Amino acid sequence: MPPPRTREGRDHRDRDHHRAPRKEEAPEKWDWNCPETRCLLEDVFFRDEDYIRRGSEECQKFWAFFERLQKYQHLKTSQKEKDPGQPKHGIAALADLPCTYDPRYRINLSILGPDTRGRHGPGKGLPPERVSEFRRALLHYLDFQQKQAFGRLAKLQRERAALPIAQYGNRILQTLKEHQVVVVAGDTGCGKSTQVPQYLLAAGFSHVACTQPRRIACISLAKRVGFESLSQYGSQVGYQIRFESTRSAATKIVFLTVGLLLRQIQCEPRLPQYQVLIVDEVHERHLHNDFLLGVLQRLLPQRPDLKVILMSATINISLFSSYFSHAPVVQVPGRLFPITVVYQPQEAEQSASKSEKLDPRPFLRVLEAIDNKYPPEERGDLLVFLSGMAEISTVLDAAQAYATLTQRWVVLPLHSALSVADQDKVFDVAPAGVRKCILSTNIAETSVTIDGIRFVVDSGKVKEMSYDPQAKLQRLQEFWISQASAEQRKGRAGRTGPGVCYRLYAESDYDAFAPYPVPEIRRVALDALVLQMKSMSVGDPRTFPFIEPPPAASVETAILYLQDQGALDSSEALTPIGSLLAQLPVDVVIGKMMILGSMFSLAEPVLTIAAALSVQSPFTRSAQSNLDCATARRPLESDQGDPFTLFNVFNAWVQVKSERSGNSRKWCRRRGVEEHRLYEMANLRRQFKELLEDHGLLRGAQVVAPRDSYSRLQQRRERQTLHQLKRQHEEGGGRRRKVLRLQEDGCSSDEDHEGSASQRADSVDIQDVKFKLRHNLEQLQAAASSAQDLTRDQLALLKLVLGRGLYPQLAVPDAFNSGRKDSDQIFHTQAKQGTVLHPTCVFANSPEVLHTQGPEASGREGSQDGKDQMSCKHQLLAFVSLLETNKPYLVNCVRIPALQSLLLFSRSIDTNGDCSRLVADGWLELQLADSESAVRLLATSLRLRAHWESALDRQLAQQAQRRKLEQEEDPESPAVSPQEVAALSRELLQFMAAKVPYRLRRLTGLEAQNLYVGPQTITTAPSLPGLFGNSILSPHPTKGGYAVSDYLTYNCLTSDTDLYSDCLRSFWTCPHCGLHMPFTPLERIAHENTCPEAPSDGPGSEEAAPVPTQKTSALQRPYHCQP
Amino acid sequence: MASEAEPHPLGMFKCQLCALTAPYSYVGQKPPDTQAVVLLEESYIMKDPFSSDKARFLILGSRCSVCSRLVCVDPECSLFYSKRVCLPCVQKNISAFPQEIQQDVEKRKGASKKHSNRP
Repeated sequence: MPPPRTREGRDHRDRDHHRAPRKEEAPEKWDWNCPETRCLLEDVFFRDEDYIRRGSEECQKFWAFFERLQKYQHLKTSQKEKDPGQPKHGIAALADLPCTYDPRYRINLSILGPDTRGRHGPGKGLPPERVSEFRRALLHYLDFQQKQAFGRLAKLQRERAALPIAQYGNRILQTLKEHQVVVVAGDTGCGKSTQVPQYLLAAGFSHVACTQPRRIACISLAKRVGFESLSQYGSQVGYQIRFESTRSAATKIVFLTVGLLLRQIQCEPRLPQYQVLIVDEVHERHLHNDFLLGVLQRLLPQRPDLKVILMSATINISLFSSYFSHAPVVQVPGRLFPITVVYQPQEAEQSASKSEKLDPRPFLRVLEAIDNKYPPEERGDLLVFLSGMAEISTVLDAAQAYATLTQRWVVLPLHSALSVADQDKVFDVAPAGVRKCILSTNIAETSVTIDGIRFVVDSGKVKEMSYDPQAKLQRLQEFWISQASAEQRKGRAGRTGPGVCYRLYAESDYDAFAPYPVPEIRRVALDALVLQMKSMSVGDPRTFPFIEPPPAASVETAILYLQDQGALDSSEALTPIGSLLAQLPVDVVIGKMMILGSMFSLAEPVLTIAAALSVQSPFTRSAQSNLDCATARRPLESDQGDPFTLFNVFNAWVQVKSERSGNSRKWCRRRGVEEHRLYEMANLRRQFKELLEDHGLLRGAQVVAPRDSYSRLQQRRERQTLHQLKRQHEEGGGRRRKVLRLQEDGCSSDEDHEGSASQRADSVDIQDVKFKLRHNLEQLQAAASSAQDLTRDQLALLKLVLGRGLYPQLAVPDAFNSGRKDSDQIFHTQAKQGTVLHPTCVFANSPEVLHTQGPEASGREGSQDGKDQMSCKHQLLAFVSLLETNKPYLVNCVRIPALQSLLLFSRSIDTNGDCSRLVADGWLELQLADSESAVRLLATSLRLRAHWESALDRQLAQQAQRRKLEQEEDPESPAVSPQEVAALSRELLQFMAAKVPYRLRRLTGLEAQNLYVGPQTITTAPSLPGLFGNSILSPHPTKGGYAVSDYLTYNCLTSDTDLYSDCLRSFWTCPHCGLHMPFTPLERIAHENTCPEAPSDGPGSEEAAPVPTQKTSALQRPYHCQP
Repeated sequence: MASEAEPHPLGMFKCQLCALTAPYSYVGQKPPDTQAVVLLEESYIMKDPFSSDKARFLILGSRCSVCSRLVCVDPECSLFYSKRVCLPCVQKNISAFPQEIQQDVEKRKGASKKHSNRP
């Protein structure tokens, strides 16, 4: 390895100068391999200003070359010493050719060495003949290097010219000259993605954007195109993805994700920065791509100079062409070798077993068939397409057993939940005589291309996420694939040579497949899309001219959902919070969390949690069953909920990184944590932070300048070293292919991990280097360590923020849960009954923290089974998503106190006459033991909500204003003073801590239907000004009762109890003014709220003081209800 | 990387025999950015695209000293023997070259024939 050798060399050098003359005395003992000798020559020839530098990789290569050359020349001189024939000179131009042949004359360059540089250099002690021998070798090396580089260049051009698309380059350019939109259709392997951008570059275009559906494709294409266009180390070709950009002013082609381009359009709707736009993979019909096409269709008339190239596989081309007023199509044939299709429909044999599990036998039969039919020396690997991870592991077990038996297969799984290292294994090569068998999801259909596949097995199935707008639930279901997918899968067998595709279904099945897959827009939730459409002001999402419109119900659900979330108002216009949410590239709920958190100076923890909830779970699957991992992970688990566990993991990881960075990888492995996800979190967290800063929600980070020049220097040096390491890694070309071991364990056992880790131990952890370059570790660490010092109050506030962010995604524990096994705990959401906890959920192992029967509660009147129990400890789960696979799972849950949360968050709260019975959002019923405390809580919640809302609105409005005026931040006048925030937080915490016993129950369907008295029944109005502040009451038009605020409706609930109960009075003496009167509970509170003698403290005081005395005169006297 | 100034291409080098095309940034005998090496012919040069080292250059080709055609250094197109001669000119004047070269050219002829026979 270079670095140690160099150091060794340097150590020797001082001594060398003294020893060198000894060598001169004994030239016969000259040894080229002696490190001192080499050092001496390097000192002369490989100085910093020379072509090759001492200690560089180049220098290593030279010495390797030198050794080979020596051997070769030794061979040659001993072979023959022939008399060269005397050449005859024909023409004048060639008259001066040297007549004695010397290979040296074939080299067209020359080195300026020490002899030409004068005899005063450091090499003066070296024997001249050795120096010239060395120079000669160096010359040959440089020549060899030239030939090598030129060979690469020539090969590159040959390969480019051989691509099917090469014949069409001019036609594409010509068509583009005459039309604004061109469709380039070509199948995998035709070279469109790499070549079309280069044709544009060669034709002189300099502002080209090429969109890709996937981030990874942006990076790999930018690399490939940069390499092919010979600007690998230049900046002509760049990429831009969520966290990274290599783009600069010199960039002519940029590869970027569709999402990012849409954001650019959001900022500059006319997209002035581009001349040509290439939209690649349009046939994949991703949500964003479909939307982009719609946006472009509208933009093109306004930008007649903008050219658009749509690139597609040869699928449904006419759809795209006709969408852009019959744009011309250039169709390029793919480069596929012939593929034999074998239909092997599965017989009904497995229906006998009736199990839901996939039968692996048909797959094993193919392995056997290949073994029998093709000799092992004929290379070619097998790619098996399965529908999901469960299916992969079933077949993996069976295939592994078969592989152990035959020693002819290495079986590898491939799906997105695998660690990056395990995913990379599919690119490694199998040893001779052994084939790879890759068991993959449809990820290998388009996203991942593996070379050397000769056989494909297609199960014909795919698991796809579908969205149920009614239940607001994502569902992972198995479907038959489309004909287009089947063809795509088949094509994977013919990329490098003729192949075979085994279809485990009948040809008649194939004929019955849908021609194309269902576009994403028809099967996912459209919340984010609708929000983006609103913020781009593209008009009503219902009438947007999509290439194929989404289902109307999905659009309606999305609009309703955004209204529920407060992102759209009742007229479907973007609210201030909505327009901010549209800027955040995350789920609406997570965006809301961040906005709310930044107000309570909880930005740091909220940023981490938001980032953690936006990436895939960092916990590896294999570690779930591993006891050691579980034990190691336990201290990081939080019984508050999964977001807090993730929060702890991230913070602990940051601490590990800042203390002993080399070990973070090991730290993660021990805990069954995929470190890559933590890096993603760090990146996302930083992006969120910048967004919040940009929007003035977070004060820009003060640049903590190191105190003295020494530490500044130190810091700069550190960064330089990191940059150098990164460069070296990039030059090294990253990961090299390895040869797989025969007994490769596809399940990535721990030994395997250890093994690969120790192999990598000597190499640089490039992720760590990038991480340190990108992030201010000190700042992160400060945030992480402050997280450990979160007070109880802060934690409670954080939960409140998460809860409000996640609302209405709430689930209520089933009443009988405390009597059930841990694994049988059931929860209900408003739309879906009987959901369960995801096995990774922290509450799956400790459901008792969700039960009301704590040690305190058990003494109360609760019945044994916990049903309908009066308790002040009822809790709800706020969850991030609801995912249905074999069961509907709640993913990423936090527990929150039920009553208080519902009072603070619900969009609708309905009460009975004395407010002892409340119904939240029409599905959860709360029965309070004591009407007095009920009214008090309700009144407080009203006041707090108004206060919180107004603070938030003012803050958002001020930011919006600032952005409009492009004013500098003015720290003197924050819209919401810190004192106000502190007071609000204090009151919220007091409210959350209130201990009021109540029953919590999910209403039955029938109850929910017959909930309201309706407007016909005249109920008692709480004609008690002051009961709910000074809201103006009006009869509710549909529910009956009286609307107190836009969410609270008083006395609209039907009830089978006595209608007059709320009018029963008892004598009571006011402790403040001494008034002694019969009061109903409500009257009593109304008096208390307004009693002139009442001391102005407690939660009510702040509000009570400035309220103008409006209609209050009556309240200062005893009051009689008139039923 | 972004801030690095890139050498501006002077134009496109195109081999008149094989049509290999690449942008060159210097013509002459003293490649820029290095003092350690000089060239023995007027060459068309680009920065070595396969190396991050700015000083590294790649010789694309030069003019045939017999017919003045611009040719690349590909052994299929030209050879250097104290001066650049394109392969057609070498073949025409094969006797002017020492035996070693003659043998080489013969060998190459056979090899390239095989090569071109391939589809």
